[in-house]
Amino acid sequence: MSEHPSSMPDPQAPGPLHGIRVVECGHMVAAAYAGKLMADLGAEVIKVEEPGGDRARQRGPYPENIPHPEKSGLFLYLNTNKRGVTLDLETAQGRELFQRLVKDADVVVHNYHPTQIASLGLEYEALAQQNPKLVMTSISPFGQTGPHREYTAHDLTMWAAGGIVFLGGAGGRPDLPPLKAAGQQAGFQAGVNAGIASLGALYARLGTGRGQHVDISVQECLVAIMENNYIAWPYDQTTPSRLGFRLIPQDVLPCRDGYIYVLAVEEHQWQNAVELMGNPDWANTELFQDFVARSVNWDALKALLEDWLQDKSVHEVYHGAQQRRVPFAPVSTMGDLLKSEHLNARGFFAEIGHPEAGTLRYPGAPFKFAASPWTLRRPAPCLGQHNEEVYCGQLGLVPEELQALQETKVI
Amino acid sequence: MMSEQLPLSGVRVADFTWVWAGPFCTLQLAHLGAEVIRIESESRLCVTRRIPPVADGEAGPNRCGYFNQYNQGKHSICLNLKKPEGLEVAKKLVAASDIVAENFAAGVMDRMGLGYETLKTIKPDIIMIALSGYGATGPESPYVSYGPAQVPMSGLASMTGFPDSPPMSVGFSYGDPNGGLHGAFAVLAALMHRARTGEGQYIDMSQWETSVALVGEGIMAQEMNAAAPQRMGNRDPHMAPHGLFRCEGEDRWVSIAVADDAEWQRLCALMEKPDLASDARFATLADRKDNEDALEAAVTDWTTTLSAEEATRTLQAAGLAAFPAVTNKELAEDEHLRSRPFFAELEHPEVGVRQHAGVPWNFSDTPCQVRRPAPCLGRDTEDALQRVLGYSTDEVATLKNNGVLT
Repeated sequence: MSEHPSSMPDPQAPGPLHGIRVVECGHMVAAAYAGKLMADLGAEVIKVEEPGGDRARQRGPYPENIPHPEKSGLFLYLNTNKRGVTLDLETAQGRELFQRLVKDADVVVHNYHPTQIASLGLEYEALAQQNPKLVMTSISPFGQTGPHREYTAHDLTMWAAGGIVFLGGAGGRPDLPPLKAAGQQAGFQAGVNAGIASLGALYARLGTGRGQHVDISVQECLVAIMENNYIAWPYDQTTPSRLGFRLIPQDVLPCRDGYIYVLAVEEHQWQNAVELMGNPDWANTELFQDFVARSVNWDALKALLEDWLQDKSVHEVYHGAQQRRVPFAPVSTMGDLLKSEHLNARGFFAEIGHPEAGTLRYPGAPFKFAASPWTLRRPAPCLGQHNEEVYCGQLGLVPEELQALQETKVI
Repeated sequence: MMSEQLPLSGVRVADFTWVWAGPFCTLQLAHLGAEVIRIESESRLCVTRRIPPVADGEAGPNRCGYFNQYNQGKHSICLNLKKPEGLEVAKKLVAASDIVAENFAAGVMDRMGLGYETLKTIKPDIIMIALSGYGATGPESPYVSYGPAQVPMSGLASMTGFPDSPPMSVGFSYGDPNGGLHGAFAVLAALMHRARTGEGQYIDMSQWETSVALVGEGIMAQEMNAAAPQRMGNRDPHMAPHGLFRCEGEDRWVSIAVADDAEWQRLCALMEKPDLASDARFATLADRKDNEDALEAAVTDWTTTLSAEEATRTLQAAGLAAFPAVTNKELAEDEHLRSRPFFAELEHPEVGVRQHAGVPWNFSDTPCQVRRPAPCLGRDTEDALQRVLGYSTDEVATLKNNGVLT
């Protein structure tokens, strides 16, 4: 490899969003991931939590599986590089403080439900009155308008509402339900969309001088990403499902020591895979003569591939295939990723200490900026960790006022 | 007051991407109002111009739903980059652009003579994003990657599946759109940086790394306890019931997620099953997790008497999270999505009006909508060369005769 510009960023250079002030509130993944994307690129993000804390603190995983609100892996991951304050938005005093916090902010991003917005003082019009340049991004399951706006949701039900769950699961097993992807994928997708929309609105502001409100529907974010599966209906009135025929021969198959993902889309890739297998006679039969035949006869092909793979290691099959330009991939475990020579050569994992959770490696930069790098500057905040710094240092409250807010449980 | 201006009005993208991850990145930029000019080639048609679904079963490069969905709002020019004159046009386009996007395997743009170091001499503040499978550096960077492979590579597959099943896919090529979205976010951040410093830059995005970003929970579990989350079907460690429950009709399912004990009591009341409400096996989350098979059977007894829509209406009326596992047809006919309005329905010269998925963000001041349908192959070649690059009609004719614009 030639020396590449991305391999030499200056780690001291400020991130591309340096100096942009973001206030984030809500629960779990969507708003927090949008906030993290911005914070990791240098934005000054203040995370506003209810006095009981973001519900992601209750999710874990926890060291030794012992629940502790400061040690939840999901929370720790999603909230790097942010400062954290507590604030009860259900109180008048809390809302007033929030108004002051937002007065100098560039962006508010939240995922409170549309039915809660008024009681939490999160209407855009009210906040924009004192800060017309404010960009506010509201993430909600079905958006701020329409007959389903009041519907409640969790990640699973959104994956269903976006049409994606219907695609996942075991082919040939109508007795089993459709299957969701692991984790909190609807939240992540809404989060990255909210990040895009927030920066889009900030960029618009450079031209217009005005802020604006952006309404993001999680359902729409999901319908937008489902490959050719949504558009099949308007184009040829077909409905893909987990049970249907798939025109791409691909599967996860067992090796001696794990699983390999096999895929050979182009004819030359298949021919190279056949070579890797030592040119078995069956590969030259009509059953597998082309892409369509291999799809139609996938069950037979799968059995032959399994037979070939059973005494091979994932490592030898993966690298052997890739050296022949065949796009097989390892089915990584979390442990495999942390040990990956490639990811580590790129410096993907980033280590940082946290006062309660200790020193851990986190997934790092998903993109490398040559001039203004992604950095891990601080771990996720403990609950209310920056109350004094923000309320006294930034908003000018005196210590007695801070104490009174604590006593009345506003913060 | 609404502005005619769009967030990225005046921003031009030289779009060398193809297939999916790259075009999905530039679709976001087009949604935001950027002028995205896709460089295509008749001799190397984008895969998405060749595969189903095709409008009404009739094939053709301009009739594919896949391409027409993910290239809305863009321009298309045909350019033969193997000819020096073609490369010259490409460089002029870069000189007139703010952003260059590409998703070839690492090193391909360099070999074509369109690497960042070259393009930077043409346009010093250019922002260039490479959305490759593995990133531009590292021992596996020359490897070939397809979007569906990102699901297993990222470890998402290892945690997706039923407890007794092998790792499973998630039903679509998730790594592609996810990479495209992260790429669009990165480009916008780089635009903010350029607006404030005048400085462009190169962004090396790895689809693998953007996919690992989605399993942070799993990485943390591994780091903390040397053990990753197990495959658990549709279940959740903190909610029960939590799954897809069979309803009336063929392959009809409703998703239900019950967050706490109070919600479980409400569900029992809706199901008119007081015996379940007082059943000690189901009293607390821990009890329900311990007896989850029986719990799911009890809920299924109720859902199978209802349509997925009735079950959803009943549950939502009581404030419980539920939704049918909808099909693409149901999405297309969904009154809620139509009311937003979400769909983009513009007249396309070859396929007429089709209901495409539109922009998933509603901007109050600079409303982002799809403003033109996906381009037919090479629709904008002459316009881009003349209007954007200043070629004369004669010069374009010469390039055409020399086979450069194919």
